[in-house]
Parts: sequence; C-alpha cells; structure tokens
Amino acid sequence: MPRDTGLPPGTLMMVVLRVLMRQPLHGYAIAQTIRQRSRDELSVEEGSLYPALQKLLLKGWVKASWRESESGRQVREYRITASGRRQLDDEMAEYRRMSSAIDVLLKEA
Amino acid sequence: MRIVGEWFRRLAFLLRRRAVEDELRREMESHRAMMDEPRAFGNTLRLRDEARDAWGWRWLDELAQDIRFAWRTLRRSPGFTLTAILTLAFGIGVNIGMFRLVNGLLLRPLYERPEEVIAVSSRSTKPDGDFRGVSYPNYVDLREGTTSVFADLSAASDLFVGLDVGEGPRRTRAWAVTANYFDVFGVPLALGRAFSPDEERPGANIRVAIISHRLWQQRKAGATIIGQTVRVNGEPFTITGVAAEGFSGTSTPGPELWLPLGAHDTLNSEPASATRGLSARDVHELTVVGRVRAGVPVESAAPAVATVARRLEQSFPDVNAGYTFEASEPMRLLFMPGARGGAFTLLALTLMIMPVTVLLVACLNLADLLLARGHVRRQELAIRSSLGGGRWRITRQLLTESLLLAFAGGAAGLVLSSWAIEALMTSLGPLLPAAVNLPAIDLDWRVLAGTVGFCVAASLVFGAWPAWTLTGRAVVADLKRHVGDQGRQPGGIRIGNALVIGQVALSVLLLVTGGLFLMSAITAVTADPGFSLDGGVVAQIDPGLAGYDQARGRQVQTALVDRLRTTPGVEAASIGSGFPFTSGDSRLVAPVGGADAESRSVDSVFTVTGRDFARVLGLSLLTGRDFTDAETLPGSERVAIIDDALAQRLWPGTNALGQLIQFLDEETPDARPPLRVIGIIPALKHSINNPRPFPHVYVPLGQQYSSAMLLHVRGRGKEAERALLGTVARVIRETDPRVPILGLETWRDHLDNTIDVLLLRVAAQIFSTFGIIALLLAVIGVYGVKSYVVSRRTREFGIRIAAGAHPRLLLWHVLREGSRTTAIGIGIGLVLALGAGQVLQGMLYGIKSVEPLVLAGAPLILFTASLLASFLPALRATRVDPTIALRSE
Repeated sequence: MPRDTGLPPGTLMMVVLRVLMRQPLHGYAIAQTIRQRSRDELSVEEGSLYPALQKLLLKGWVKASWRESESGRQVREYRITASGRRQLDDEMAEYRRMSSAIDVLLKEA
Repeated sequence: MRIVGEWFRRLAFLLRRRAVEDELRREMESHRAMMDEPRAFGNTLRLRDEARDAWGWRWLDELAQDIRFAWRTLRRSPGFTLTAILTLAFGIGVNIGMFRLVNGLLLRPLYERPEEVIAVSSRSTKPDGDFRGVSYPNYVDLREGTTSVFADLSAASDLFVGLDVGEGPRRTRAWAVTANYFDVFGVPLALGRAFSPDEERPGANIRVAIISHRLWQQRKAGATIIGQTVRVNGEPFTITGVAAEGFSGTSTPGPELWLPLGAHDTLNSEPASATRGLSARDVHELTVVGRVRAGVPVESAAPAVATVARRLEQSFPDVNAGYTFEASEPMRLLFMPGARGGAFTLLALTLMIMPVTVLLVACLNLADLLLARGHVRRQELAIRSSLGGGRWRITRQLLTESLLLAFAGGAAGLVLSSWAIEALMTSLGPLLPAAVNLPAIDLDWRVLAGTVGFCVAASLVFGAWPAWTLTGRAVVADLKRHVGDQGRQPGGIRIGNALVIGQVALSVLLLVTGGLFLMSAITAVTADPGFSLDGGVVAQIDPGLAGYDQARGRQVQTALVDRLRTTPGVEAASIGSGFPFTSGDSRLVAPVGGADAESRSVDSVFTVTGRDFARVLGLSLLTGRDFTDAETLPGSERVAIIDDALAQRLWPGTNALGQLIQFLDEETPDARPPLRVIGIIPALKHSINNPRPFPHVYVPLGQQYSSAMLLHVRGRGKEAERALLGTVARVIRETDPRVPILGLETWRDHLDNTIDVLLLRVAAQIFSTFGIIALLLAVIGVYGVKSYVVSRRTREFGIRIAAGAHPRLLLWHVLREGSRTTAIGIGIGLVLALGAGQVLQGMLYGIKSVEPLVLAGAPLILFTASLLASFLPALRATRVDPTIALRSE
C-alpha cells in the first residue's frame, strides 16, 4: 500500500508539471502515473491533487479541455503550457542546485 | 504581466463560477468512476470546496454568508434593528450634514486644478504694510509683464447693485470682470459667451451681463435667456451668458451676476471711482487672479509679479512707490477674510467636533444594546463556537452585523442630512444680506467617502468591543447554564453602566454648551442698545439702484424725510448711513492742533445723518445744537456732532463744544479739513460683543453723499410699529415709485437680524439641536440598560418579593441604582463642560462661561429624563411574579 506522500504543495505542483511534460493527462491518470513512476513510493490523494490542479490553472501553467477517452468516457485532460514549461525548467534547476548543495553538505559533515 | 494574467483568470473564475463548479463536479465523478475502489474517493463536496479555495475567493464566500446570516438575524428582531438604525441615522446623519456643509464651504475645490490659481495683491513694502486693490492700468502692465508665467491673469471688482429680473429691484452682489475672467477657472459657461475685450475697456459701458446658473434656473427660460434683458441699477443689460452650475469664482458665496469691467464706473455709486473711473492709475479697485501656465512652477509667480512691481515703482513713482505685488492663494470665504490653508482645516475640524460627539453618544448607546442583546444570544454563540466556529470567525460575523446596521443607518442618515441641509439653507436664506449664490452642497465623492468612513468607524466603535467581549466567554459554562447569573453583578451590567456614564457625560457637555449659546442669544436680543427701540421703524433705500446720480439722489432722500416728518402718526423721522448698535463705518478722529494731535486719535463709529437723528432715537442733546436743514446740503459749513464718550476721550474735563476735529484716515493732511463740533449727544453702545459705550461721530448729509441710506421713523409706542411699517412703505412709493425699498422692518427686528446676533442664534440653534439629540440618545441608552438589568435580575427580584420585600422598596432600589450612574455621568460631564466653556468664552456674549442657570439646568433636565427612563423598567421589577420568576430559571 503506497503511503500518502504529504508532498509540500509546491513540490506536488512541480511533479504534476513534470508528468504532463510527456503527454496531456486527466486527473486520474496523473495520480496513476505518479504512483507507477515512483514505484508505488508516492501516492497523491484527490484532496491534494485537485487543489494543486486548480492552482496550476490559476497560474496559467496548464490548460484543461474535455475529451472522450478510449473507453468512451468524458475526461478532462490537462495540457502543460509554454509558461508551465518555463516554470518547470526554473524549478528543476532550482531543485537540482539545492539538492546538490545539500548532498555536498551531508557528505562533508 | 504574470500577476495581471493571474488576476484576470481569478476574475473570470468568479464570473463563470457556476460553470466551473459544474466542471469540477463532472471531472471528479469521472475520476471516481475510473477508480478500482470508488469509495476511497473522499467526500466530493468537501474536495470541491478545497479545490475551489485555490482561487482565493473564500473570504468573499464567507462575507456573503455573514451578510446573509446577519440579515436573517436582524430581521428576526425588528424592534432592536429599528432602534439601532434610527439611533445611527441620527448619529451619522448629523455628521454627514455637517460634513456636507464643511465640504461645500471649505473643502471641495471650486474649480479645476486649484493649486495653479493664484491671487495677486498690491501691498505696501512697509513692515506690516497694508493691502490695497490694483488699478486697471497697473493690472494691464502686470498682465503683459507676466505672460511667461500666467496663462491668464484676470481682474475683477466686487459690487453691490440693484438687480431687477422683473420682480422689482433688490440689492445683490455682482462682479465686474475682465474678458478672460472665466478662462482662468477653466470652467466653461453653461450657455452663451464670455465678455469681449471691447466690453472690458474701462468706460466702454456696453451693457451686457452673465447670470448665475441658479438665477437662470429660477427664470425657467431655457436657451432663450440669451438676449433677454435684466435691469441693473435701473438700466437694461442684455444677457450674453450663463455661468456653470455652482460657479462662484474664487470665493464662496458667489455673486448672482457678472458684468464687464467696462460697465463698472456707471454702476458704482462710490464717489471716487464714479468721478475718475477705472482708467485712472490711482483708482485701486480691482482684485487680480490668474492661472499659472501648465509646466511652470507655481513658485515662479511671486518673483515675476515682484519684478513688474519694481518696474511700476520706477515708471509711476507718485502712485506706485512703496508698493509691491504679492502672490498668494485666493481667499475662499468672503465672510471670513484671511482664512486660508491651515486655518481652514482647523475650522473644519472645530465644526466637526459637535456632530462627532453626538455620534459617539449614539455609538455608546448601540454598544449597550448590542451587549444586552449579546448576553441574550450567548447560548447561540456558545453553540456556534462548540461547532467549530473560531473566535475570530464569530467576532467577524458579529462585526458584519454591526457593519450592516451602520450602513443601513448611514443610508437613512444620508436622507436625513439632505432634509437637514434643506431646512438649514431655507432658514439661512432670508438672513443673508443679499441673495447670494451659495456653493453646491450636493453629494460628491468626498461626502460619500465620508459617509462610508463614518459608518465603518461607528460600527467599529460600537461593535468591536461587544463582539470581542461576547466571544471570549467560557462557552461550556454558557451551554450548561441557562441565561441569567445569580450571585454576582454580571459583567455586561458593569460595562453597560460605564457606557451610560459616558453617554450622560457627553450629553451634559452638549446641553451645557447649547445652553450657554442660547443664553447668549437671549441676552444679545434683549440687550439695551442705549436708546429705546419702541415704535421705531427703519427702511433701507438706495436711489442709486434706480439709476439716480448724486443730485437727484439727494433730492429724493430729502423729499422722503420731509414727507415722512409730516405724515400722521410719525413723531420723528431722520435719515442716516447706519443703524446704531450694528457694525458700520468707522473713522480715526483726532483733535486739530497741538503737537500730539495724531497720537490722541480715537477710533469712532462714523455716521452720515440728516437733521433730528438724535431725536428719532429718543435722545436729547446734552449740549449744543442739532444739524440744520442747510447743513444737509452740499457745500455747507463743515460741522459734526459727537457723543460724550468721544468728547471725554478727546478733551477730558473740558468743554468739547466748538472744538475742531479731523479724520486721520485720509492719507494727506490736505484731505482732512477740520470739522467744528456743534453738539454732543449721549453715547450709544456699538456692538453686542462690547457692552461699553463706544465713541460715535456724526456728520451732516451735506458733507458726504451716500446713495444707500436708512430712513429712521419713530411712531407712538410699540403698538404703532406694525401700522407704521405700512405707512412708511406707502409714503416711499408715493414719493417716488422708482426708488427700491431694500428692507423695511422694526428696529427690534433689524437688531435681531444683525450678523452678530445671527451667528449667536445659529450657534444656539445648532448646539441646542445637537444637545437635544444627545439627550434623546442618552435617554434611550438609560432605558435600554435599565431594562436589560431588570430582565437579568428577574430571579433576584422574585426572591426578594417572595421574601416579603415591599414593591415600593424595590422600585426605590432600582431607581437609586440608576441615579448613581447618572450622577457620576453628570459629574464627569460638568467637568468637561467647564473646560469647553473656557474654550468658547470668546464666542459668548453677555454671560460668563460659568453660568449657574445653565450648569444647574442641563444636569437637572438630564437627571429627570434618565429617572423617567429607568422608571418603566423599575416598575417592571416590582411586578415580577415570584413563582414565575423562580421557575423561569
């Protein structure tokens, strides 16, 4: 049973953007992808996912549109925007910088 | 850019909220359907709420919720709501009313970009040098020498003219102005055209006029007004324009009429400019106002005008030596010369003190009511708090209720203030010296902002404290226990008493100040002016307004006095340039001869009179003789009558009769031919603000012509006054129907309507009104708190009655408690009132600021009123049925 990540909201938003980089996905698929790609280490509850998605919409980093899925169901699909890509690049760079700094610190200490 | 996009999306969300909500619901449903275990999906309603919060509109939802809830709560207790709204309507209404007045008179700019408009005045370079007007030639040189600084520089002269718009002539203010006058203010005319340079040229006398917007509306002629004529001093003037609504130039109140400067000389009955005219460089009649060019710093005006002044000193030393030009902010209040900038703010603040005090009383009152109500509502609050309502959240809800009340009260107050202003303006209208163009007192953003400010401030004052206090209680205890404390004095009661004390104190303060002004007004009206007022009638005439020159004017004036003297029922009649006991012309009178003559000068009231002036006042000559008819004609011997106050100052201990006097006001000694004193009469008091006899000097009509004069007539006793009014009007009409009667009233009415008495009366009226409103509010407050106290102590009273307490004893007990609170409030109020009395001392007349009658009367009224207010609740206490009372808890 995967644990609820309890990811800080900012990090969750980054993770969602990263997942959407590959292809547009609907909410359920986003949650599934995060779970699979983290090898069941991370799970995202709906209670965190939807506020995060709304926030991404508000920031203009993703766009949403309705589409019919393969199973014939109406799903709302999220697609990353140009400014979302820029944001992700910025955040990834920042994240790497921070984590390598912490790495160095942990090794030396 | 990013932020803008975000806000744009945020607003879009708000607008299509329902659709987004629906989308979220569908999205979550489809998500749930795809899950292996749909039940693991949380509560969709809550999830939607949380998702929605991301958009940051939660506070709006809560606000709407609070308002809906407050609305329902208030609707459930209409009695409380109505009381609260009425209380606030009074409290806020008086504030808006006063603020609108202050705004119209003092704050609201009279024209666009006021900081660019500058007045230029001519001033002597001596230390503390006097100001003088600017002559037309000097103005033209100034205008041409400062074109780089001023976009427009205009000149104007203030005149009193007889205006006849078809209802007979009346005296009104008019400004004679240059062609560019209206350009300076950047306020285009509502209709028609401004004056042309040809019409401006002194002596041109082209008869055209621009009328005020109000006058235009009164005539109801629409656009056809252009080309119609009005009569100014008897001559027809063609209307070429209508000023913009509310336009009053630099000052307020504004005139009814603007005329071209070229018509000035024929309209002014003052001898100096009538004979020489505006084109003379030494007729300093004009005030100069200009607008600085866009982009030019305002500070550059002062050196620019000073440079022109130095050039003028060199070119025309006989006229301009020793004078410079100064740039300053234009004067705004005609009736308060010299008030500018800081003084204005101070005046505005002073005027606002009273209404703010009333609002404070109203707020204390409401705090009372809310606290009392809150204690009844404690169970409700306790339940809400136990259901998870945080203290801040509940406080906010209570505050929303207060705010809603305040805005309802404010809206009612806005309506109330309109009525009040209407009433005030109507009552002030007839009192003003001439029909004047008052500034627009209507609503603008300042008034609306002020109203919102008053509402918010009020609701915070009366709502915040009760809300915070009420929500801070131990809720569990409140849930368990039923309403009603037993042993101890409940905190709410203690606070309530403190509030009542505050209210009573402030009411005493307002009542005492009102009383002081009321007594001043009464004292002023009943003051002894030094002569008997019985049977006296005064008529104001001005033959100049009918277009008569000096020769014909004199003829008519003489004919009128002669006719009146021989009219049956008239004991004495005379003519004079002023009325005793009211402010008038003054001269520096000095004896002739002797080295120290000038240093012995005495400031005296100066009146031009005909024969019998003393007789008509009922005074007899102390020594000497009256003027003769011959002396009232021009070219006669130069004589004067003085009163004994002046005689004793000039020649103490010696006989003043036959001595020579001169007026030092004339600049050159040649212009001060001596006058021989031929008679001495008893001194009169001069002003209600100065009860001591004031020196007077009287010169006969022959020595100075004034077109505007007063006919004084005395009949037999007080009873004859009314009949005499009709007689005098008839005689004037029969003698010359063209001479306008500008005023006709008994001496007593005339004095009652002088500006000093008027100001006192207005002050008395305003202070008393505020005092009475405060009294009313205080009584409501006392009643409210007492009712609450009694209802809270029902059980206690029940036990007392059951134990055999006599109802009368109980009544006495409650009343005594109430009296103690009131007494403390009165004590504090009296201390405040004594302080206020010290501050107001200078504005009072004939009474001391420590006036026993007022200091005893106001508290007595309040005490009685509050006793009555606690009587009803006390009575209720005695009627408590012990069995019901004990069972009720």
